[in-house]
Amino acid sequence: MPKYMLLLRDDRELFGKLGPEEMQKTIEKYFAWRNKPFVVDGAGLMEKTGRVMQKKNGSVSVTAGPYSESKEVMGGYYTIEAASFDEAVKLAADNPHVNFGTIEIREVGHRSE
Amino acid sequence: MDNPPMNELSSPVLLEHLFRRQAGRTVSCLAGLLGFEHLQLAEDAVQEAMLRAVETWPFHGAPEKPEAWLFRVAHNHAISVLRRSTRFESKTGELIAALEARTESVEDVDIEQNLRDDELRMIFMCCHPDLAPDARAALSLKLVSGFSVDEIARIFMAEENTIAQRLVRAKRMIRERRLPLLMPHNVELPERLNSVLEVIYLMFSGGYATHTGEDLIRRDVCLEALRLGRLVADSSMAAPRVDALVALMALQAARLPARTDSAGDLVLLEEQDHSLWDDELITLGYHYFNRSIAGEEISEWHVQAAIAATYAKAKSSEAIDWPAILGHYDQLLNMTASPVVALNRAVVMVKVHGAEPALAALAPLEGHAVMRGYHLLPAVRGRVLAELGRLAEAEAAFSAALECDCAEPERRFLQRQLENVRAGWKESHLDRSSAQDTPHPPLPPSTCLL
Repeated sequence: MPKYMLLLRDDRELFGKLGPEEMQKTIEKYFAWRNKPFVVDGAGLMEKTGRVMQKKNGSVSVTAGPYSESKEVMGGYYTIEAASFDEAVKLAADNPHVNFGTIEIREVGHRSE
Repeated sequence: MDNPPMNELSSPVLLEHLFRRQAGRTVSCLAGLLGFEHLQLAEDAVQEAMLRAVETWPFHGAPEKPEAWLFRVAHNHAISVLRRSTRFESKTGELIAALEARTESVEDVDIEQNLRDDELRMIFMCCHPDLAPDARAALSLKLVSGFSVDEIARIFMAEENTIAQRLVRAKRMIRERRLPLLMPHNVELPERLNSVLEVIYLMFSGGYATHTGEDLIRRDVCLEALRLGRLVADSSMAAPRVDALVALMALQAARLPARTDSAGDLVLLEEQDHSLWDDELITLGYHYFNRSIAGEEISEWHVQAAIAATYAKAKSSEAIDWPAILGHYDQLLNMTASPVVALNRAVVMVKVHGAEPALAALAPLEGHAVMRGYHLLPAVRGRVLAELGRLAEAEAAFSAALECDCAEPERRFLQRQLENVRAGWKESHLDRSSAQDTPHPPLPPSTCLL
């Protein structure tokens, strides 16, 4: 079955509008979604940014970043299995994250037969 | 592959209201260490910890000890803010040292006791008599109980903005008056304790009052008020009147599951299915009631608890001991001279002495300032008049009640009464009193419901 990667970016301000009880309820919704059978794996990303490496003039440069213009920060990813792109979109739409940021969906490539 | 399949990494179920509880405890603890001047820093640190939880737990699952995690992240964040910021000036070192003195959260018993003391000190500060009465309950719900501004607004049927401003003013007052996070001293203890008890019951009434729909927040706030009451009752601040208040709240909260039907409509106390009452809460209520009568003191809370206990004792509606309840109301009226108590007493009079004397008892309440716009006065009058067969007057009274502000389930209830009167007041209703299952506020309703 094809695999899809969901890249989750969140907007802190939107989470910040929640009270303690709503935060807990939101986390519980994420848990419920994450425990569904179509979820293959996933992990959160530490810190807001990492390092960008690039070869410049023969040597590798490492800079902090990437910095984005938007308020949204990449918080983590999940990999799911779905029969089609449409189905992947449908499964991702049930993730509570749609209320707090964006989910970018990419089909994971595999070697053709 | 390092990560086990997601579905095997099942997350622990979070304790009910863990975030609310931990927010209140951690703010109380950090503010206790930092002092009342730095309440905002404590609040910000707790907010940061919860934000990080909602940003990371969805991917990794909840930590093994979520309470300790939230405390640690808030604690560390407060220290790093102190290190980075220049606004604390010469105090920085002292504040960091104060925080570093307490790095644990919930693990052992001594710390559990410390946390309870932190919460108590916070309750006493939030209920300080220098603060506006309407701010005390909002502040307690926010700081001690971890309710959001939006939730507090729903509880007191106020605008979110109004509550937010109320909180800002109260916090400014805490700074200006330098209200410390200390247990009250001997001389001021009675006044301070009474204010705490009033605020706790105000919270409870806010939850118990009949509002629109079956908002879960109502039950939450009732149980939270009960929790705070028990916290005080089981502390060094204990007094018989605290036990009486806890008994009252437990016995009333026991009826919550029976108060509304499946359509969200009000069920009168007398028509409630007693099997729906919560036995555990009733047992708890009796426990505290017995404790409350051990001392010499008889407070308003005692009498109100006695009324609630009399209702709870009845196995069915027919078994309610109305003369005993009327006796308690007589006593309560002597103690408070409250028109709201007088109104409730009149309802009980119908049961004991009939409609005619009850109508006479209602007369002096008309034109009372506190009763202006209070829907239950004309509602009760309408009921009594209907029972006397004075249907035209009853109709006018129910119409007048519908002109007042009231919650939707009550409005529907009044509407049904009005239609019933217009239809000639059916026999089946003759034996029902209009005892509304609402708490009897010790304060006038206008201040009690904000």
